[in-house]
Amino acid sequence: MTSVGTGYDLSNSVFSPDGRNFQVEYASKAVENGGTSIGLKTKNGIVFAVEKIITSKLLVPGKNNRIQTIGRSIGAVYSGLLPDGRHLVSRGRDEFNSYRSQYKEDITVPYLIDRLGNYVQAYTCYNSVRPFGITSIIGGIDEDGTHLYMLEPSGSYWGYKGAATGKGRQSAKNELEKLNLDELSTRDAVKEAARIIYQAHEDNKDKDFEIEISWISKEETKGLHQFVPEDLLNEAKQYAEDKLNEDEDEDEEDEDENMEE
Amino acid sequence: MEHDPFRWGRPSDQAYGEYNNSIAHAGQQQSFPKMNTQQPIVTGTSVIAIKFKDGIVIAADNLGSYGSLARFTDVERLFPVGDHAVVGISGDISDLQYVSRLLEDLEIENNYDYDGHSLRAPHIHEYLQKVFYHRRSKMDPLWNSTIVGGLDDSGKPFLKYVDLLGVQYSAPTLATGFGAYLALPILRKVVFEEKDVEKIDEETARNAIKECMKVLFYRDARSLDKYSLITITKKNGVVFEKGLKSEEQSWRFAKDIKGYGTQKV
Amino acid sequence: MMVILLLTHQLVEYALEAIKQGSAVVGLATKEYAVLVALKRNAEELGSYQKKIIKVDDHLGIALAGLAPDARVLSNFLREQALNQKMIFNRPLSTEKAATLLADKAQKNTQSYGGRPYGVGLLVIGYDETGAHLFEFQPSGSSLEYVGAAIGARSQAGRTYLERSFEAYANSTKEELIVHGLNALRDTLAQDKELNSKNTSISIVGKDIDFTLYDDDDVQQWLDRLDSVSNARTGVNNDNNDDDDNNDDNEEPTKKEGEDEEDKMETD
Repeated sequence: MTSVGTGYDLSNSVFSPDGRNFQVEYASKAVENGGTSIGLKTKNGIVFAVEKIITSKLLVPGKNNRIQTIGRSIGAVYSGLLPDGRHLVSRGRDEFNSYRSQYKEDITVPYLIDRLGNYVQAYTCYNSVRPFGITSIIGGIDEDGTHLYMLEPSGSYWGYKGAATGKGRQSAKNELEKLNLDELSTRDAVKEAARIIYQAHEDNKDKDFEIEISWISKEETKGLHQFVPEDLLNEAKQYAEDKLNEDEDEDEEDEDENMEE
Repeated sequence: MEHDPFRWGRPSDQAYGEYNNSIAHAGQQQSFPKMNTQQPIVTGTSVIAIKFKDGIVIAADNLGSYGSLARFTDVERLFPVGDHAVVGISGDISDLQYVSRLLEDLEIENNYDYDGHSLRAPHIHEYLQKVFYHRRSKMDPLWNSTIVGGLDDSGKPFLKYVDLLGVQYSAPTLATGFGAYLALPILRKVVFEEKDVEKIDEETARNAIKECMKVLFYRDARSLDKYSLITITKKNGVVFEKGLKSEEQSWRFAKDIKGYGTQKV
Repeated sequence: MMVILLLTHQLVEYALEAIKQGSAVVGLATKEYAVLVALKRNAEELGSYQKKIIKVDDHLGIALAGLAPDARVLSNFLREQALNQKMIFNRPLSTEKAATLLADKAQKNTQSYGGRPYGVGLLVIGYDETGAHLFEFQPSGSSLEYVGAAIGARSQAGRTYLERSFEAYANSTKEELIVHGLNALRDTLAQDKELNSKNTSISIVGKDIDFTLYDDDDVQQWLDRLDSVSNARTGVNNDNNDDDDNNDDNEEPTKKEGEDEEDKMETD
């Protein structure tokens, strides 16, 4: 970053001579260090999962939820500055409710993400505000089926089958790519999501973490966004741990082979 | 030749007398500054409900009347809210639709938090009472009578009434509209006071409600024999039955009733 | 180090500093009870002590560290919200809801220019249908639920005590919980200071008790339960032991806890 310290990075709404908005880039940096969040889109469902780093053992286990509901069948999870995430979700709820009061039906996910994209973009335009320090994964079910999007601090968003953000996003993306998401059942996707979060945590192994998983599915949750039930969560955790141990064993074998070479 | 274009194509004064201009300007000639709803338009009739030892039963028919015309025959007037509550609404159907959306909004908002604080029947009743009283105080009432049913904070059966004036009361048997005259006496034979609630089971309560729906269809000219019924218990939550029919009707007595219809004598 | 350099966010870091300047408050929670204890300061000899604990509703209260006027604005806001919830739904405002309302309010001041962030940290305790809860609110817009928390000057020492004993007090009675709280608070004291009925505030809320605040003379009964009212870590004033020895907590804080303390701010 050649322009750091030249003053172009101090204010929003200022381009540097090489055409960059540093504030937005700094916001993205905030995201890169947050706990890993992922979203999976199956044929008829959505799964969210997040790695919650335990910063203090005095925190109450199982509380301080990171996945939030925007409205009925739409959920969100994010990495970065958590208060900014709550801000975005609360804006999403306002959008959801105002659409409902105008049209007497639920907002579609693509339209919602478009509105939120514009909102986030506006926070890159003025020097009276700073950008959102989060990358959020937003998904849900509407009359057209399932949708999953990832929204960045710049305000740009793309649709995904599997999305990952936060510190472990690279390894999470690798794992997501290996999944056959078109065939996977939502229930199985919950287990895979757990495995991917465990895998992604390997990069951050010295810290304790909790996992949080939610889902949306016509069959499993009547189309509502809900946390997965306790027993499924435990099953998913067990699956993740078993898989991880398997891989480690294999890795060791590989290493042995490499040694021989 | 009429030279005023405004008069072209209009009934001639010679044939019909001079036009009464107060008709065209009715809106500007009010003797009062503003008027809100004065009467319901499309209406739903009674809602009836009873407590039993494990919960409540509530029913309302599916008719939307336009005056004496049976205009809509598939109107749903029972609205489950959350896991253990229902609101039954009678009165103006457009206000009913508005109230039902308020209830939906309430439920959506309550589901934001997964903190174990559920929205129960007493809370919903309190909220509705505030809405109705607020609107009547603005002289713009929502033209409805409602019964909120479900379980209270300690899991006991809960029934409470609230109407367009914000009037509220609770009883082990409740009915709105005509039902208050036709159904309540029958329901009170089953449960007269609060302590009787313990003595009756779901089956008894259900049969009493069904019997009342039939009586209402016989005697309330703005009613229908197609209705919805909801049972709420701790064990099964909200059980919603739609499109029930009042069975074993007998209209043989009708031939003896005189004074209207096609009868001559 | 946070890399967002915009002024608004830098101010948040300063706001967090303002909390460290305030005198310490400690909160603890079990499933049935939640407790706040606080160290009060008086600006001058003849002045009164600054109130540290504010009741919000029969089931809800907060303790503050930092700018007291900011805390009063926030507690008034919470009272409004609690009253609304009572008025509209006839139910108490849930503790979690109270904490997130505060957080969302504070977040706004961190993202846009014009307002400054709140210069106060809060511990929120409450008892509702899901039991007793303790939340720590920060001006950065975060509210997290803890079983034990300490904020304010030298609060690290209090936190160390809580981290060591939170498993022990998980099932304790309300009396024991208050004693644990006072022990943690005592650990935050500077060498020449001690807890007394003038500078200590205690509050509790829980299963069979509405939010109750003990100040002045009412505090003494609780101080009497401690083995020492001065900081045991420093090893001084141990002879000043005029209290009853009915305290079942014989865990003596060891000396080394204080040494990793990062803030060397004076408590007065």
